[in-house]
Amino acid sequence: MRQVFQPIKVLNSRTFRKNKGRNLVAVLAIIMTSLMFTTLFTLAQSMNRNLIEMTFRQTGSDAHISFRSITQEELAQLAAHPDVAQTSASLVLGVADSSQLGGRQVEIRWAQDDYAQHSFSLPATGSMPQSADEIALDTIALDRLGIPHELGQAVTLSWYPGQSSGEESLTSTFTLCGFWEGNESSYASMAWVSQDFAREQSLSQDGETSSGAQSYTAMVNLYDDGRLEEDISRILADTGLSSLEYSVNLAYSPEMGAAAFQESIPMYLGMVLVFLAGYLIIYNIFQISVTADVQFYGQLKTLGTTTRQIKRLIYSQSNRLCLIGIPIGLILGWLLGMVLVPVMMGMAEGEHTVSANPLIFLGSALFAWVTVTLSCLRPARLAGKVSPIEALRASDNTSYRRKKTRRRRLGSVSLASMAWANLWRSPKRTITVICSLTLGLVLLSCFYAHSNSFDMDKYLADLTIADFELDDATDSDYLGGYDPQGTTLNDSLVSQLESMEGVESTGHLYSGRLDWQMDEQTYENMRTFYTDERLADWASYDPSGAQAMQAAFDSCEVSAVIWGLDGIPLDMITQERYILEGSFDPEVFASGDSILAVGPSIDLEGGAPEEPLPAPTPGTAIELGGRTYTVMAVVYPLNPITEGAPQTGSPDMPELSFILPADIFRQLWPDNTLRRLYLNADDAHLEEISSFLEEYTSSVDTTLPVTSRETMADQYEAELRSSSVLGSAVSIVIALVGVLNFINSMVTAIVSRRREFAMIQSVGMTKRQLCRMLVFEGLYYAAITLAASYLISSLAVGIVIRAMVAGGFTTFRFTLLPLILCTPVLLFFAVLIPYICFKNVERMSITERLRME
Amino acid sequence: MMSTNMILRARGLKKYYGEGDTQVRALDGINLDIERGKFTAIIGTSGSGKSTLLNMLGGLDTPSAGSILVGNTELSKLSSEEATIFRRKQIGFVFQNYNLIPVLSVWENIIFPIALDGRKPDRKFIMRIVNLLGLEKKLDSLPGMLSGGQQQRAAIARALASKPSIILADEPTGNLDTKTSDDVIGLLKMTSKKFSQTIVMITHNPEIARMADCVIRIEDGKIAAQQEAYE
Repeated sequence: MRQVFQPIKVLNSRTFRKNKGRNLVAVLAIIMTSLMFTTLFTLAQSMNRNLIEMTFRQTGSDAHISFRSITQEELAQLAAHPDVAQTSASLVLGVADSSQLGGRQVEIRWAQDDYAQHSFSLPATGSMPQSADEIALDTIALDRLGIPHELGQAVTLSWYPGQSSGEESLTSTFTLCGFWEGNESSYASMAWVSQDFAREQSLSQDGETSSGAQSYTAMVNLYDDGRLEEDISRILADTGLSSLEYSVNLAYSPEMGAAAFQESIPMYLGMVLVFLAGYLIIYNIFQISVTADVQFYGQLKTLGTTTRQIKRLIYSQSNRLCLIGIPIGLILGWLLGMVLVPVMMGMAEGEHTVSANPLIFLGSALFAWVTVTLSCLRPARLAGKVSPIEALRASDNTSYRRKKTRRRRLGSVSLASMAWANLWRSPKRTITVICSLTLGLVLLSCFYAHSNSFDMDKYLADLTIADFELDDATDSDYLGGYDPQGTTLNDSLVSQLESMEGVESTGHLYSGRLDWQMDEQTYENMRTFYTDERLADWASYDPSGAQAMQAAFDSCEVSAVIWGLDGIPLDMITQERYILEGSFDPEVFASGDSILAVGPSIDLEGGAPEEPLPAPTPGTAIELGGRTYTVMAVVYPLNPITEGAPQTGSPDMPELSFILPADIFRQLWPDNTLRRLYLNADDAHLEEISSFLEEYTSSVDTTLPVTSRETMADQYEAELRSSSVLGSAVSIVIALVGVLNFINSMVTAIVSRRREFAMIQSVGMTKRQLCRMLVFEGLYYAAITLAASYLISSLAVGIVIRAMVAGGFTTFRFTLLPLILCTPVLLFFAVLIPYICFKNVERMSITERLRME
Repeated sequence: MMSTNMILRARGLKKYYGEGDTQVRALDGINLDIERGKFTAIIGTSGSGKSTLLNMLGGLDTPSAGSILVGNTELSKLSSEEATIFRRKQIGFVFQNYNLIPVLSVWENIIFPIALDGRKPDRKFIMRIVNLLGLEKKLDSLPGMLSGGQQQRAAIARALASKPSIILADEPTGNLDTKTSDDVIGLLKMTSKKFSQTIVMITHNPEIARMADCVIRIEDGKIAAQQEAYE
């Protein structure tokens, strides 16, 4: 006749339907919690993946292990090993002459398709070369060569056979048979040629290596990427090839995992915050609902419901809420993640992958569920502990313990004092609400103060000192070195630019180098600065650099780099704040008998250095290239001036840099051409110059490197935006949670006191008075929250954030702007919410409410 | 030793609230024996401690001192969880405000304590009670749709359904008019006779008290008089 009656289940579903409003708030909170978890997980996962992808692209391959030199026989042996999944080989024929490619390194190679695939260089359009006259190139190389992205184009390359550019160059002409999107972060581009071409070349070069013992580069993939280092050495031992040198792809190393983890620490911190916020609101909702239903639970107890059954009732309620809230949150969270991933990595080049790993959803769902369940722990215990006898007469105020403080006898009762007393009828609830509101506001202030402390000028000063900086094409060619006779910045271009309308100031930079025997004082300074400890520290991350320094100490010989400066860069580097030692006198400097030495990049805000700088001492005379100069000052190595590749053919010695006036420099090195041109223009003409340069780099000289302050600033803005998006999102959610908490608690406090209000009204309190009392309660909430928020935010911003932003491109500014903006909003809510609740209560007559149980 | 005929025995039952000057002695040394199958009425002024006594006999409240023996079970030795389980098996409560769960139908309310215990309700037995109480047409209704008398009859059905050894009723007719009161009490008495159950009932109504086998008068937390009715 009837199904088996499961009392807890039935009660669960029936009461669930009854409390629609409360459940809605709870479901919203759960959606919010799982949404944030999913978003953060998605971000963390995607950043992880993108970081690995980026490492792949930087190392140029996604293969597990690569061999620089291996014969085909050896490779075949490896391929036969059961643990080896895949092998592929490539043969380096030579490198293209980089001067025709704007300094870009292009390797002429034959490769198997798999090899091309693993090095992200498989032609996307066309195919790998088949016949001897075919070539496949990436778009970077094509652009530099000025060849349109079209199959069948003729490609003429001059190149050096062998692995170095030392030998005589050859010139070959090919037909373009395939191309793919180039990858700027990779050190070199590939130019694939056919096996036939490779055979021809190796035959013509020398007979010996073509006998089949030719040395290939190879990529090897194993089945399992867990412990590559151990596995490959075991495989090599198994095959008797232990003497082969190999390298394991950095992207698979444990350090990579650690780095990826570090990148996602903010996400994990965010998750902790989300957990806290979610806990606070869901706990609050359940706590309030249990308090409101205490009589109901008492009744159940009276009828024989055990504590465990009551707890189960509460947990099944929360699970039901989770079942609705979590799936919605997961979907919304992932969508939000999809939007945020590109923003977070906006400035990084290349496409981004948004991870849709099922683990994200499992993890987020689990986290959200755990948060909700933990939130229910205490309310469930409370409900389970309800004693039946108490419930028979209980109402909301049973937990109200009379304060020990003496009340003023026969004192008057004001609305404000009644409201104040009401506030503390359930202190736990009040404190929870205030805490969650305060947490949101404090975090908001902190995030804002943090992102607001980024200093655009500081950031830009490190990158550029002029509106436009134009470099010689080889300026950043760290492989081939800077060519001091480069022709990128030729006279006609320079004069054309300098005469453009709106150009306010210009500056020039030349550079040259010579070997220099350190004088005694300089040697002394260097030795004192580079203590054994410092050298050891240096050796830990750059052994060859430290070694070169040690060698320089033995021989007293270093490489002297002479910068010839005028205009913008000279004015900039001789500013008071960049002079580390000595002083600058422009007139004496212009005479050419004085020289500026460039010091180390020390912390400029750290005050005057105590020890002697590793540079010549100001006031002493040094001899450079046969001339004697007085050292005027030691200046700071301002990046936009001193950056760039060493000159071609520089010996492997530590460098000491010096600055001379440009005209003196040109007298000494008349053959050296302009290395860098600085231009400042008025705002009205920036656009014009910019478009001129764009035109020039696309049609006349594609290799001209241009740095524009405006583009830098745009990039910076993007970076700034992305870093603050997440912070603001988290704190806004927390603040929202706080407001929800506040609304929820106010509503419950008022609704559960309907009968009491009727009673007070029946003995003569007017509606107006009642409403005012409720508004007072709301205002007290707001006032306490604001007082706590201002106090804690001031401390947090003033101490924690100040410490956090020290150093880097930041200038700390104390600000509580978000808090100030939130103040009126909070006060508005504090008045509005009680008012709406009151209106709601008012709809029932006093007698109706008095009769209510 | 308790004679086999005694279903409920209380000794030195005390319940104090507060301390010192403000101490309230709700129960102040109550000794009580209730015979199996008898209808006992407890009377007394409000605040005399009747309800406290009844709640304590049912294990809803714990005494400050003294012992309560229901059948062979000493209530003070039970944990609160054990007391709950004991209660739903052995004691049927009828309250002045019916205490029906508003979201459950009448039938569900009736079998609620049995279902909580994980037992299968004895349908035949319960339907007999339902028929006796005239609730057969109301089984699918929610309590809110019933009159006071019907609600109280549903509560009585619930109290009887688990075949408890004692039914404790706290002014079951307090919210009912005279006519309905008489009906309800008549039914309560009749059903308990029929199923040979013991009833302990608090009442203000001398008419009802007169129907009892035994009347106990409580004053200031003490038993002022106990008188057996001779029929």
